[in-house]
Amino acid sequence: MDTSSAYNLLTSLMDLSTSSLPLENRLNQILQSISDYFHSDRCLLMKPDQLKANGFLTRLAQEGNPLWGEGEMGLNEGQILPEEKELLLPGFALLPLLGETSFFGFLYLGFLKSREFSSEEKDLLLLIAKELGRILQSEHYKKEAQRNLSELTALQEIGRAVTSTLNLENLYEQILTTGSKILKARGGVLRIEEKATGELKIKFSLGGYDQNPLDEKIAKRVFFTRTPLLLNHFGEEKASILCAPLLSGRECYGTLTFYNKETTPSTFDQRDSQLLVTMAHQTACSIENALTHHETSSLAQEFEKRAKQFSTLWELNKALLTTVNFERILHLMLTAITLGDGLGFNRAMLFMLNEKEHTLDGTMAVGPDTPEEAGQIWNALSQKKQPLSGLMAQLSNSSPNPSQLNSLVKGIRIPLEQEQCILSRTVLEGRFFNIQFPRYEEGWIQTGCGGPCQLSSEIGCSMGAQLGRNPKAYSFSTVPLWGKGKVIGVIVVDNLYNQNPITEEDLQFLSMFSNQAGLAIENAILYRNLEELHQKLKEMQSHLIHHEKMSALGELSSTIAHEIRNPLVSIGGFARRLYQCVPDEAPEKRYTQIIMTEVSRVEKILGDLLNYTRDEPLTLREVELKDILEETLSMISHKFSDGNIEVIKQYSEDLPRIRGDYHQLKHAFFNLIDNSYQAMRGEGTLSLRLYPLEQDGSSFIRVELEDTGKGIDPENLHNIFNPFYTTKDSNLGLGLPIFHKIITSHQGQIEVDNRPGEGVTFIITFPALEASHEKDISRR
Amino acid sequence: MKKILVVDDEESIRFLYKEELEEEGFIVELAQNGKEALDKLSYFKPDLITLDIKMPVMDGIEALKRIREMERHLPVVLCSAYGEYKQDLTTWASDAYIVKCADLTELKMTIRRLLGIL
Repeated sequence: MDTSSAYNLLTSLMDLSTSSLPLENRLNQILQSISDYFHSDRCLLMKPDQLKANGFLTRLAQEGNPLWGEGEMGLNEGQILPEEKELLLPGFALLPLLGETSFFGFLYLGFLKSREFSSEEKDLLLLIAKELGRILQSEHYKKEAQRNLSELTALQEIGRAVTSTLNLENLYEQILTTGSKILKARGGVLRIEEKATGELKIKFSLGGYDQNPLDEKIAKRVFFTRTPLLLNHFGEEKASILCAPLLSGRECYGTLTFYNKETTPSTFDQRDSQLLVTMAHQTACSIENALTHHETSSLAQEFEKRAKQFSTLWELNKALLTTVNFERILHLMLTAITLGDGLGFNRAMLFMLNEKEHTLDGTMAVGPDTPEEAGQIWNALSQKKQPLSGLMAQLSNSSPNPSQLNSLVKGIRIPLEQEQCILSRTVLEGRFFNIQFPRYEEGWIQTGCGGPCQLSSEIGCSMGAQLGRNPKAYSFSTVPLWGKGKVIGVIVVDNLYNQNPITEEDLQFLSMFSNQAGLAIENAILYRNLEELHQKLKEMQSHLIHHEKMSALGELSSTIAHEIRNPLVSIGGFARRLYQCVPDEAPEKRYTQIIMTEVSRVEKILGDLLNYTRDEPLTLREVELKDILEETLSMISHKFSDGNIEVIKQYSEDLPRIRGDYHQLKHAFFNLIDNSYQAMRGEGTLSLRLYPLEQDGSSFIRVELEDTGKGIDPENLHNIFNPFYTTKDSNLGLGLPIFHKIITSHQGQIEVDNRPGEGVTFIITFPALEASHEKDISRR
Repeated sequence: MKKILVVDDEESIRFLYKEELEEEGFIVELAQNGKEALDKLSYFKPDLITLDIKMPVMDGIEALKRIREMERHLPVVLCSAYGEYKQDLTTWASDAYIVKCADLTELKMTIRRLLGIL
């Protein structure tokens, strides 16, 4: 062996190892030098990835020892793979190339003739192998460093990209473009989980890989297993896929997938996978940030909106508190619902619950009648730009306008029994309804209750079609109006003119407002009841005063009456005696007669007064009104026969009895008939009718007394039963008040049919005793 | 001739009743109050008494009680300005109750009825 040429070989090896030529060139030159030196037939550098598993080369690599092929080797044929056999030339050397950390392959020298390696040759080859290992190791380090550097740059780039924006859409784009640049991928897809549905939704994609049928399946799998997936395909027809979950802490936001490396072969390696996981994590953090930011800002928006709603509510409530007038509160409420700055609906209608009748009664409505009117109102409002409080204050001073809608709604009454009707359901179920009617008939919901309700033409109830009108099918909503713990009515709203859709949120706001308004209405109702009670109390008080007056009068009159009666007896009595003594032709005859008449009058007045003011207890028993009337007529008949008065009596047969005080009733009818007699001034017809009557399932008996007098002056009509009432030309006296008092104490009803100038008919109705009583009585 | 004792505290009324009843053909004796009436009862022995209620010394109610103790069946006509006792007193002890009135027709008719003169 030539030592100088061996030296030359090593020198050139050293030179090449530090040369700046590309590695492949250097290795080629080194192999060439080695081959030249040893005169080998083959000289190869085998990389580890060229070694086949289970082959003897692999074993050799694990052992790390050189193999000298010198004649019979005793190698087991079965352990040698067919492609390895060609290496087993008659003479060969196989030297593992070992770096500091790893195995870089073999240096192979093959000879067609068998040969032996001298110890110098072996040393030289081992030295060469060592040097080659070193070269490969340093090359490996260099590549590693380069790769690390490029990865760091990539991550930095991703980092810069993801922090550059909080806008989610931009962020997704940045991640995908930067990611595919780093991974040298031809395309990619970014998916984010929709929180509401749990579905993975494509937010951004590059290169149309989202059309790949496998794509979604892989993304789902990665999302649910939270494990990255690497799927390499060699060849053009199928894409290599690298997919990682977007994990941040415990949260998984979605998946990030890249396709087809631009390199050949187009495959991803573990380092790519790791890089993607890092990228995915970074991305997830950014998405989390962006989502948090997004959430925060949408919360802030929500808060702002709420704050505005609350201030609106506050303004409206303040307005509602300005009055306790029921009508005005309703008008304020409905107007607030329709004001643009208020709740902003086009029209608002109110139906109040009528608990007695079990119906919903249309009470009031506010809203323009035509689209033109709506336009005018909106224009006027937008020009004025008044704050809500000002508008409301203005409203509270104006009176409700008589719109067509208002009168339409006022005419509607919906029985609650019609459970099909949305309005009834709103009351019965106590919740709001948002009815979105399609514009065409085919899509209508069958809410028709079967009743002839006028709403059908206005509100898209299918009844409208049945009635043959042309209904405007449109959306409307109903909200229950709550009083204290119960529904007191229904508010119906719509956006007929601008066709804005009504949202759940609108309705929640309306519900909030209507709850407040409900309380105000409840208060107004209570106030109204209070006023009614107050009015009643006032009436009772005046009644009481009247009563007190009466009893005071009673006491006074009883004392005075008795004191006056005695002297009257004397005056009247002696006047009578004088009258008898005085001859008929003497003027004194007339004087004494006047004294007699006037004394009689005073005595009558005293008698009436005492009767009226005295609360005589009723002695009740079953009585026949016919008997009472007959006896009364007989008491007074001499007066009728004196004048020219005809009495016509019409009594029905089978008259029921009544329960009453015989004497007092006689007294009452005496006064009534006497009154008629006075009215007729001695001439006319007095008709007396008596007949039974059935009303609302109860039995009554009715007395009608008709005279042909002058009638009652309409001015005095309402005062005829007032004991203190008198006019200059008519002294009504106490006859009718006593009559009234006795009849009403018998639960009798008095009606007066007054025909001024023609006469008066008094109609008196008493509750009849039941038939069973009559039988009892007749049996006795 | 039937005898009537008229009891009344008012002189003018006593006078009127006396004049009227004597004209009707009765013998009339007068008393100013219940006490005087009781005194005159024993010697005058009336067939009927007209008795006022409100009187000094002894009122008509008290007098009526005493009379009933002595003369169970003597007809007594209460004559009063007070109408309100009518129902109670007729059923209780007197034979008739008349609310005083300038027209004495009712009184005269009642007296005749009670004395059986028709």
